[in-house]
Amino acid sequence: MEIADQLAVGMRHLGHLATTARTGAEALQATKSDDFDAVILDRMLPDITGDEVLRQLLVRPSRPPVLMLSALGSVSERIQGLQAGADDYLAKPFDMEELAARLQAISRRSVGRESEGTIAVGALHLEPAGLRACFKGETVLLNRKQYSLLVQLMRNADRLVTRKMLLEGVWGYGFETTTNIVESNLSRLRTKLLELGCDAIETQRGSGYVLRSSSCS
Amino acid sequence: MPLGTPRIGRLAIQSGVMFALMMGVAGIAMYYVARDRLVENVDRSLDRERERLIPKHSQSPASTMSVEQAILRVEAGRTITDKGHAIFGGDGRQTFGAVTLKLPNDGYSDVLFREGKASKPREARALVVPLADGSRLVVVSHSEVVEDLNDVLLPLSLALFVTALMGGLLATQLLGREIAVRLQQITAAADEISRDNLDSRVPVDRLDGIFRVQAQSFNRMLDRIAKLIATQRQFSSSLAHELRTPLTRLLGILREGGRQDLPNHVSNILERAERESASTIRIFDALLRLSEIDAGRHPAALRKISLAAVVDDAIETVEPVLADANCDLKLLEIADVTVIADAELLVQVLVNAMENIALHTPAGTSAEVSVFQDGKEVFIRISDDGPGLPNEQLETVLQPFERGQASAHVKGNGLGLAVAQSIVHFHGGDLRLTNNMPGLMVEIRLPMVPA
Repeated sequence: MEIADQLAVGMRHLGHLATTARTGAEALQATKSDDFDAVILDRMLPDITGDEVLRQLLVRPSRPPVLMLSALGSVSERIQGLQAGADDYLAKPFDMEELAARLQAISRRSVGRESEGTIAVGALHLEPAGLRACFKGETVLLNRKQYSLLVQLMRNADRLVTRKMLLEGVWGYGFETTTNIVESNLSRLRTKLLELGCDAIETQRGSGYVLRSSSCS
Repeated sequence: MPLGTPRIGRLAIQSGVMFALMMGVAGIAMYYVARDRLVENVDRSLDRERERLIPKHSQSPASTMSVEQAILRVEAGRTITDKGHAIFGGDGRQTFGAVTLKLPNDGYSDVLFREGKASKPREARALVVPLADGSRLVVVSHSEVVEDLNDVLLPLSLALFVTALMGGLLATQLLGREIAVRLQQITAAADEISRDNLDSRVPVDRLDGIFRVQAQSFNRMLDRIAKLIATQRQFSSSLAHELRTPLTRLLGILREGGRQDLPNHVSNILERAERESASTIRIFDALLRLSEIDAGRHPAALRKISLAAVVDDAIETVEPVLADANCDLKLLEIADVTVIADAELLVQVLVNAMENIALHTPAGTSAEVSVFQDGKEVFIRISDDGPGLPNEQLETVLQPFERGQASAHVKGNGLGLAVAQSIVHFHGGDLRLTNNMPGLMVEIRLPMVPA
């Protein structure tokens, strides 16, 4: 079974509708007619390159967000892909959960609910100037790592944010760790939020975290 | 080896002394040649004076009387002269003449004479001509030049010797310096290479002769080495790329299998196989990253950054990990220094070093971080009082896939320190491990931005 079919099966498992295209030309054709929420694009295609497909998608007046998929996992390839206009980049191999979480993050982004300025979920909001989190009149001071982690979680409230997404978002694309950096820092953040009386961060079966908006009201 | 001022050592002194000796010999020879010429001239003038006093056509020796009269005549016609005259009787006593001296031998000779009674004896050339009655005419020519030459002989040759010695030393020093500068360029290139900078070459533009030929042949050798190393790097990164793809497929198959309804022990095996292949892929990823950094292909955002902010960032990141491992972290002096670096990569280096403390030391270990400036360099020291490493492993653990023997069971891919070292090299610095007695110290040296 090819990777595209594995993906389609996985996506349907998660309750999404999925269409596969075998070539770049097929992909360009399919994305013209149908209204897709997101495209998973492999860099290596039998006819034209994934980069070329991306370039042609980008000149269209409206286009679905694109997640680039590649066997090339090097940091420079990844940054090239992002600079070429991909909304996210994932190297093979990956977990289906990881892919799904990232697809959700980019399809939300394209909808445009992202508002710059203050970030708030329910009664929980951030003060970027002072690295402070406020909840119902209480304020707690965070360090930069805790603040960035909380930003990632709040931007994707009620969605799974994987460990890898947090590592990339807070420490950078090339960052490698052999210890529980994400877990240890997140547990400190959780402690800080508990001081505010806000227990919104849930651990998701070892794969990531979810910030529940229901716990922030 | 650090390079100081270029020197060629004893060679300069040896050739300087040699040069001075040769100049001394040449000086003495020149003195004698010059003196000979002057004396020859003086002797000719003495001969002319004799002809004036004793006409050539007279065949028999002139009489004393006629010579005395000739002398008086000649002297009366002159106010300033360098010639003096004397006549000695047959008994050797002076009987006539304004100059006094002892009777020299016949012919030309060097003499001392006095003008009048009080004056000091002066040097001169003298010509002694026998006269008819057994008395002798002495013509004295006093030459200031010859006298001066004799007066200055010692100081002159000394001065010449000293000048030649100084000049010789200076010249050879300069020559030596020029040679040393050229050799130093080659040495510097070799040192760069040994620090893993394969792009360095000896500049040949300003070299000529054998130095140029030597530099070119040295550069050719470097080209060859660089090519070999590039091939080797290319090989390991291609290998990682190539093996990554089938491993990815294998992982997909194992995951697919894990979703099937299988007996417990089979799905356990599949799960373990899945974990193992995932961690193999991670090793390949780290290897690719290492070769990317080594080859300078890693995208780096080099900017002027505050090192203190980088240290802060790394400490914020690792502090909770160290706390969870019951290790204590202390900040010593943190100099705020500016470096040109990629902040993310530098944070990675410091985090790697501190993660190693969390991974490889027992609970209760304390770690210290300090940043200090020394000359044009800045040193970051991360030390712990844990079990440390045996001295012979301090260098080897920096190589890819080398681990300390004691940590064979600890997780990690054996690439962390190699990656850290590559990043530091990429920034023109150096990373080394030293024995902290007890414990281990990671010392990172980075070039500073001139203020």
